Parts: sequence; structure tokens; C-alpha cells
Amino acid sequence: MDTLSLLMQGFAVALTPESIMFAVAGAILGTLIGALPGLGPANGVAILIPLAFSLGLSPTSSLILLTSVYAGAMYGGRISSILLNIPGDEPAMMTCLDGYPMALKGKAAEALAISAIASFIGSFIATIGLVILAPILAKFALKFGPSEYFALFALAFATLGGITGKNQFKTLMAAAIGLMIATVGIDISTGVQRYTFNTLELFEGVDFIIAIVGLFAISELLFFLERHAGDGLKQVAINKLKLSAKDIIKVLPASIRGALLGFVSGVLPGAGASLGSFISYTLEKRTSDKGEFGHGDPRGVAAPEAGNNGAASGALVPMLTLGVPGSGTTAVLLAMLISLNISPGPMLFQQNADLVWGVIAAMFVGNLVLLLLNIPMVGIFVKLLSIPPKYLMPIVTLIASVGIYSVSHSALDLYFMVGFGVAGYIFRKVDIPLVPIILGMLLGPEMEKSLRHALVLSDGDWSVLFNSGLSIGLWIVAILGLVLPIIVGPIVRAKMARSKNSTR
Amino acid sequence: MRVNDRVFGMLMLILAVAYGWEATQFPVPFGGHESVGPETFPIMLSIILGISSIYMMVRPDPDEKWAPVAMLVELAIVVLAMLAFAWAIEPIGFMPAAALVVSFLCWRMGASISKSVMTGVISSVAIFFLFNHVLELALPLGLLEF
Repeated sequence: MDTLSLLMQGFAVALTPESIMFAVAGAILGTLIGALPGLGPANGVAILIPLAFSLGLSPTSSLILLTSVYAGAMYGGRISSILLNIPGDEPAMMTCLDGYPMALKGKAAEALAISAIASFIGSFIATIGLVILAPILAKFALKFGPSEYFALFALAFATLGGITGKNQFKTLMAAAIGLMIATVGIDISTGVQRYTFNTLELFEGVDFIIAIVGLFAISELLFFLERHAGDGLKQVAINKLKLSAKDIIKVLPASIRGALLGFVSGVLPGAGASLGSFISYTLEKRTSDKGEFGHGDPRGVAAPEAGNNGAASGALVPMLTLGVPGSGTTAVLLAMLISLNISPGPMLFQQNADLVWGVIAAMFVGNLVLLLLNIPMVGIFVKLLSIPPKYLMPIVTLIASVGIYSVSHSALDLYFMVGFGVAGYIFRKVDIPLVPIILGMLLGPEMEKSLRHALVLSDGDWSVLFNSGLSIGLWIVAILGLVLPIIVGPIVRAKMARSKNSTR
Repeated sequence: MRVNDRVFGMLMLILAVAYGWEATQFPVPFGGHESVGPETFPIMLSIILGISSIYMMVRPDPDEKWAPVAMLVELAIVVLAMLAFAWAIEPIGFMPAAALVVSFLCWRMGASISKSVMTGVISSVAIFFLFNHVLELALPLGLLEF
């Protein structure tokens, strides 16, 4: 089998001591980042990109480092869900439902261990899915012409709000703002200056890494200040682990079902990890109605955890094969690929085969590392979690600024970072989502390029955008993605709220 | 109250119009007009932004509460402190600038003064040595350079 031999080559890359070292470092950092409330995976990866960049790591090493951080953050998210009843990131919300009650019953260690195993199963199965699905999709994507790509980008923005999106127009507005920022600078194909106001620093455009760190990390700091949340929250004490093989076997079916559902919702546009863990949880509750869901049923911990880790790996499929990320964190990973001068998309699997397969193999290795780390070392992570944010957030801000500064040793970049932080604070106050802004900045140049190519080939005939079955199909999905949430969204959100309230 | 969305929508509408107008003013690229010029994509964007900002003004969402004025002033001071840090890295040096800004931030987040200063000094010295000696990225020494 072709795929299998490529994967074996990938393992040859991933099992070098250097790669293993980066995978372990990434896994530890990622778990920490995921565990700290308010410092989600997107945030963490964003802070680390400029560091990986200025350290001059090779593309493979930096990708291995950051995908391990990504996977680790998904593991870490569960720690604060279980111990604090506060999800480290949005998809970890469903883990609170049974995880926190378990912790209250004095079974915190069991809940952590079960969720670590479920996370492992989720990522493992989904990575296998990635191995199978990605090459097929990449081959298919070679059929895409410029007009199909333009439709695909439109689809990515239309579905970004997700089924649960609140106000589609705000998603649209955010996307437009991001794309507008992307047009600043010298136009690549004509050399015309756009929106530079003759400022030398703007000729090359606005660096999206600075924007990402500013929008996420700095605005988070401002929110922490405003909420007086510096003292942190009380956490449940952790007990001694008593877990038998029987307990593990009992949650296995739930984990496997969760993993599969999560993977599918990760791959589909607009669904994402939150929906993955939600569906896994509700399905588990329905199929095994004898349990005490909502009151600390281990299966209620395993299913959503497997679901959200499965979705996290699933989300890498569209990101790697089409260059179109489906979530905030994959958008940040895409930012890193672009800044390493690697253009994702179908050609990635042909031109950079050893890189892609090395990273996929590293995900297997990283997951194993995470499982091994998370069961015995969970106590250390828990200790770190109890450092109050009033000390932690300033240090994180400092590290973020150092990263930005060391890219080009210019204070101007830091001014921009703070400026984006203030903008991010205002955007969040008026409920403008930040992810479409980032995605717009990332995809803007490519999107404009495909529009141009399509129209040049057709000699200015705009109907070229809708002239193949494939592009019409993509447009239909895009429109559905934009319209459906307006109809279905309130229903799904009401259900999620109900299942959350009924357990209180 | 639904003021936030109305005001923000208004600002974005102004931005959309200004952005779109600016796009029509681009110089004709070398080689003459083509079917898609540098202005085509920006004009599309300004239309999308315009439509969504009008929608935002017509059907605003309920407001998220703004912090009281005193807090906004405090946030502004924090932002200024970060800008001052950015400015000070080179002339004053990384360690003193970072120690000051981290202590200030910790203090504003509710830590006691002595603990804030401790966090500031320890973290800035640790990060300086980590970066300069372990990761080999040069951070400016500034005043401490002799």
C-alpha cells in the first residue's frame, strides 16, 4: 500500500531523537496551555509561532512542536473542566457535565485518568482516519480550478460561524475586516500600493502573527483585568487514583463511538470540536440510558473527551488537504505553515510528502507521549493550575511580546500587537468573532489570486465562478452554511443550554 | 439598550465607504486595465462590509455591558504601560523594562506590591537568560550594558 509506506517513512522522520524531543516539549507545553483557563489552544499556538520562527527551527521540527502543542492543549482542556468546572476551551464544555460531579464525589483522579484514556482513543482513531482520508481528499482537490477555490474560500467563511453561530452577519463582517487587512500592502500581481498611505512599514502588509497574538493574548489580558479574575478559582482537591481494568473496559465503547463522531464533525465544515463533543455526549446518554449522566457517570466524561480530541485531529484534514481550516486553532496552524513558506493544499502531499507524513507520524508519537505524561504526571499540571492568573497572565504577556519582538527586533511590531489587542477587546465587546478576522488575513491573498485567475481565464466573464458542477455544489453548501444557522441555530443552542442546566 | 451595535455598525459603514472609495482611486497599473484590477476585490469587500454593518444597525443585538469608566481608564493605563514597555526595550534594556511592566501588571491584577515586584524581577531575569543563553536570541541589555 502506498499510504502505508509513506507513513512508515513518516515514522522514520518522527522517531529521530530530535523529533521526539520536540514532540515531548510540545506535549508538555500544550497540556499546560490547555489547562490554564483563559489560555485556549489557539492562543497558545499563536504565542509559540514567533518563537519557533525566530529560533530558526526547520519546518518539520516546528510543525511537530506545534501540532504536539495543539494535541496537548486538547488534553489539557479537560483538567480545568474537571477540577474547576470551567472549560479550558469551548469544546471542553461538555466534559464539565459529568467530570465536575465526579470530582465532587472524590473521584477527581479517576475522572482525569478516564478522560486521558478517552482523549488518547479519540486522537488515535481520528489520526488513523486522517491517514486514510487525507490522501483521497488531496487527490480529489487536484481537480479544483481557480473558480472552485474561490467558492471553497467563500464556503470556509460561510461555515465558520458553525451551526451554533449566533449572528451570521457578524461572522461575515469579521471575515470582511480580516480580508480588508489582508489587502494592505503592495498588490502582488500589479505592484500597485493599496492602503499603505506611503508608509514604508505597511508596504509588506500587516503580519498576521502579530495580529493573532494581539487579538487573542492581549485582549484576554484586558478581559482578565476587567473581570478582576486575578485570584483564580477554587479547585477540587485531587484524590489517590484507584482505577481497575474493568473501569477502563467499561468506558471503551463510549470512547470509540465518541472518537468516530468527533472525527466526522471535525472534518465537516462548520461543525467543529464543540459540536463533536456535544453530539458524542448526547448520543452516549441516549444509547446507555441506565447510567447516571450528569451526576458523574464515567462514560459521560469519556464520550465528549474522545469526541473533542477526535474532532481536533479531524479538523486537520481540510486544513492540510485544501488549505482551508475549520477552526480557530487550525487557522493558527495554517498561519504557521504560511509563515514557513509552505503552501497547504493538495500539492502539499506531493511536494512536501515527507513533511506531511512526518507530522502525521509525530501525531501518533505525540499522543502516546501525552497519554504517558498525563496519567502519572497529572499532579504536576494540577499544581501549576493553582498558580493564580494574576502572576501568570503578566508573564504570558511578557513571553508573547518577547516572541513578537525577536522576529524582527522592532518596537513597531509591539505597538501593532498592543493595537490589535485593544481592537480585539472592542470586537469581543460587540460580539464580533475573532477567528474569521484571522482567517480573512490568512486566506485573503490566495482568495484574491484565485478570483483573478478565474476571471482572467474567462476574459472578465463573472459567470465563470458558477460554471462547473463542483463550484455550484460548493456555493450551495456555502449558502446553506450561512442560512441554516439562522433557522437551526436557536434550536441547537437551546438544547445545549438545557442539557447543561438539567445537570445543575 | 442596543447602542453598541448601532454605533459600531455606523463606524464600520464609514470604514466600508472610505475603503471602497479609496479603491476607486488606485492608479491604473502599469500595462493598462485588465478585467480584474487591484480594485476589484476591495470593492467586493466594501460591499460585504457595508451590507453587514447596515444589518447590524437595523437589527442590533442586546449590549454587552461595558466596564465602568474607572475601569476603562485603568485599562487605558495598562495599554499605555505596554506601549511604554515596547518603547523602552531598546534604550533602557529588556530586563528593567520587563521587570517594571510585569510588576505593574501583576499589581493591577490584584497581587500585593512586594509579590508583584518579586514576580516581575524573577520572570524578567529568567526569561532574559533563557532567551540569550539557552535559545540564543539576543535581547537588548540597554542600561546594563557596559
